[in-house]
Amino acid sequence: MTHRPASDARPDAHAGEGRPAPASAGIFDPGLLDRCISCGFCLPVCPTYKLTGQETSSPRGRITLMRALEAGKLADGDPTLAEEASFCLGCRACETVCPAGVRYGELLEQWRDHQWRGRRRPLLARLLMAVVSRPGLLALQRLVRRYATGRGGPRRGAVPATAPTGSGTARSGGAPARDGAARPASLMLGCVERGLYPEVSRAVLRLRPELAVPGGQGCCGALHAHNGDSATGRELALKLGERLDGVIVTTAGGCAAHLAHHLGRERVAELSEYLERTGYRPAGEVRVGGRRARVALQDSCHLRNALGVTRPPRELIAAVADYVELPNAGDCCGAAGTYSLLRPADSRAVLDPKLEAIEAAGVDYVVALNPGCLRQLRQGLRRAGSKVRAIHLAELLAMAENGSTAR
Amino acid sequence: MRGDLARDLAGIVGERHVRVDDGALAAHARDATPLFEASPQAVVYPGSTAEVAEILRYATANRVPVVPRGGGSNLCAAAVPLHGGIVMVLTRLNEILEISREELLARVQPGVTTAALAAAAAEQGLLYAPDPGSHTVSTIGGNIATCAGGLRGLKYGVTRNYVLGLEAVLPTGEIIRTGGRLWKDVAGYDLTRLLTGSEGTLAVITEATVALLPKPKESGTGVAYFASLADASRAVTAVIAAGIVPATLEFLDHKCIAAVEEFARLGLRLDAGALLLFGDDGEADAVAANLDRIKGICADIGALEVTLAENVARADALLAARRCSLPALSRLGPLTVLEDVTVPRHRLAEMVDRIDEIADRYELRIATFGHAGDGNLHPTCVLDPHDHAAIERCHKAFAEIFSAAIALDGTITGEHGVGAAKLPYLEERLGADQVALLGRIKRAFDPAGILNPGKLGS
Repeated sequence: MTHRPASDARPDAHAGEGRPAPASAGIFDPGLLDRCISCGFCLPVCPTYKLTGQETSSPRGRITLMRALEAGKLADGDPTLAEEASFCLGCRACETVCPAGVRYGELLEQWRDHQWRGRRRPLLARLLMAVVSRPGLLALQRLVRRYATGRGGPRRGAVPATAPTGSGTARSGGAPARDGAARPASLMLGCVERGLYPEVSRAVLRLRPELAVPGGQGCCGALHAHNGDSATGRELALKLGERLDGVIVTTAGGCAAHLAHHLGRERVAELSEYLERTGYRPAGEVRVGGRRARVALQDSCHLRNALGVTRPPRELIAAVADYVELPNAGDCCGAAGTYSLLRPADSRAVLDPKLEAIEAAGVDYVVALNPGCLRQLRQGLRRAGSKVRAIHLAELLAMAENGSTAR
Repeated sequence: MRGDLARDLAGIVGERHVRVDDGALAAHARDATPLFEASPQAVVYPGSTAEVAEILRYATANRVPVVPRGGGSNLCAAAVPLHGGIVMVLTRLNEILEISREELLARVQPGVTTAALAAAAAEQGLLYAPDPGSHTVSTIGGNIATCAGGLRGLKYGVTRNYVLGLEAVLPTGEIIRTGGRLWKDVAGYDLTRLLTGSEGTLAVITEATVALLPKPKESGTGVAYFASLADASRAVTAVIAAGIVPATLEFLDHKCIAAVEEFARLGLRLDAGALLLFGDDGEADAVAANLDRIKGICADIGALEVTLAENVARADALLAARRCSLPALSRLGPLTVLEDVTVPRHRLAEMVDRIDEIADRYELRIATFGHAGDGNLHPTCVLDPHDHAAIERCHKAFAEIFSAAIALDGTITGEHGVGAAKLPYLEERLGADQVALLGRIKRAFDPAGILNPGKLGS
């Protein structure tokens, strides 16, 4: 007798029921789906699996669904496929614990490309993608800024008022970095951030005035790639790569990961990485009510899970305030790009445990490294009536430089 | 059929907890075993023992197969619904009901993960000793159903040694409570032990009382590198022969070292033929003394290098790396067929040689790692899933490996179970009379044959 499945079981995980294996649908890159061996190590870290406890909303289950789609065992219009492709936050926490090295983020993009091809993509997502890929329309964002940011933001005056224009000619490369590295670097303004939180870029320039800020930057395309339009996502990333000289410094974890994927890791530095690399030493400290501020960090999923950046932001915070580690700092906050707009109820359910942890930690500020996370935290904290304020790392450091005593 | 089943099950657990959509069925067509797949007709998530009982009564009355499932990390296709029917997922039952320091025990629902129980016990200064590699995802219910082993089996034994009592539902719907909170209790046949390792074929476990230990004060870990796995095996034999029973004695061959290193980046030596990971816990002096003695024995056998982990973090990293051997191996090739043979410890080196010889003859890449201290080996064949000829050779090679293990007074599975994958070899291990007895026991519990058909007792 040989070691083989009983007659009821299929001899090949990729074959159809008793029929010859259908040709693969070509939705996914060959080999990517094969990587998953269904060990399930990803289950405990998946935020949507935590919400439902159901296999279909775990990374392993979703890969099984993708395989069924690829093999033609699930129909294109299958409602579970549609639901799960949209339910996934794309936080990529699963990748960090996967010993087999499954590139889930890439699989998800390819899945959504197929799933949301054409008009099936959510209307709101299409609208946003249209706006951010047209630099002129980006200006419209400012109209909704007041509405979108709510009252949870930092007070005016907390950050320097020198605004980067983002529309003028490129600033010169300026002085070389303090460690003597002569490589030029450009600040990416970020299509969402420059509309909602222009104070973040202003704060960065206060810390690092030598950064070039070329105009007409447009969007990096992360939004498109995460919403089922990888081709545009790639195109926009490459275009931005041409427009911005040298190392691209970003203040958004999602953009950093997307750009790094298309332009190469060496072209991209998230702010905290860049500050560390250029020998930045934070000046002053942030004080609240006569004492050093207590500050926690919310990791940006893509920064943490895709690029592995976790230490530099923590050290920078600890240099200007009392750093408090949240027990779930690395868990997704539920913002997930457009997710909080497309699936508000699920987004809030993911956020709730984090809000509780922030409240329990007794902090003054929670720092975010991505505009989506910032918006999510501000709204959540405001809804909960919390006194804790969410700010970007750049703003915290600028406050310290100002010798600012908040409140 | 599907519609009726969905309606009937929804009547028991509520619509929210029944899935009959194609996606859910596809997602529950397999566990972590490669090459086995079969779709159920429904997936149900019961929320109480009473609901489990009602589902089973319904299934027996209607002759619908039921396959219990925990974290789905099984490696012998025990949770694959070969005959369709219902997959009953028990992860909603995930409460730790009680941890008693006075009685050194815990009472838990089956869907609690092994790691969650271990963490809860540790918070109280206690140890839940069984430590399967998949502990973050595998559940206590599944651990008990398969009598899971793990990294501490040598000193502490396997799951079986810690199950004091069970609440379980028979396929006909009766709820029984076996054993209990006592260390000594011989009233009746030992059904607790019979259900432990019964792989979901006799009853559905709905609650377990497990023994805890005081948490050891100190622990330490070391690594020894050898020229070959056979050398490492000789070191294991020598350690045991010296009267040392450490908590952990694990080995990895050079293919596993390379794969694990690629994931974990621990700075493991890639030029060695094998590494032996050893660890002990207890009083600080005793731990240090044991590790020192093991170090000496390894050196005597001709270890290339022996080092002790300088701190807990490094030790934990080494153990974590060992846990991920299987999934890490899939980096060498996407289809990994892992097996689970055990031989008497003094015959480890012979078994390792046999595996190498068989792999060479069938022109297969078989990496080997395992719980060396237990004599428990996991030869793992790494394949291209589209190379059907190689898969065929792999089946034949493993058939020979099982025979070789039996010939060395070993067994066809040490800790993963029989499931569907090993059922064809069970008789070679147990003999016809014993297999027939298993069938009679199965029928006594499950007259309609609805519980996990196609597995043990079928």
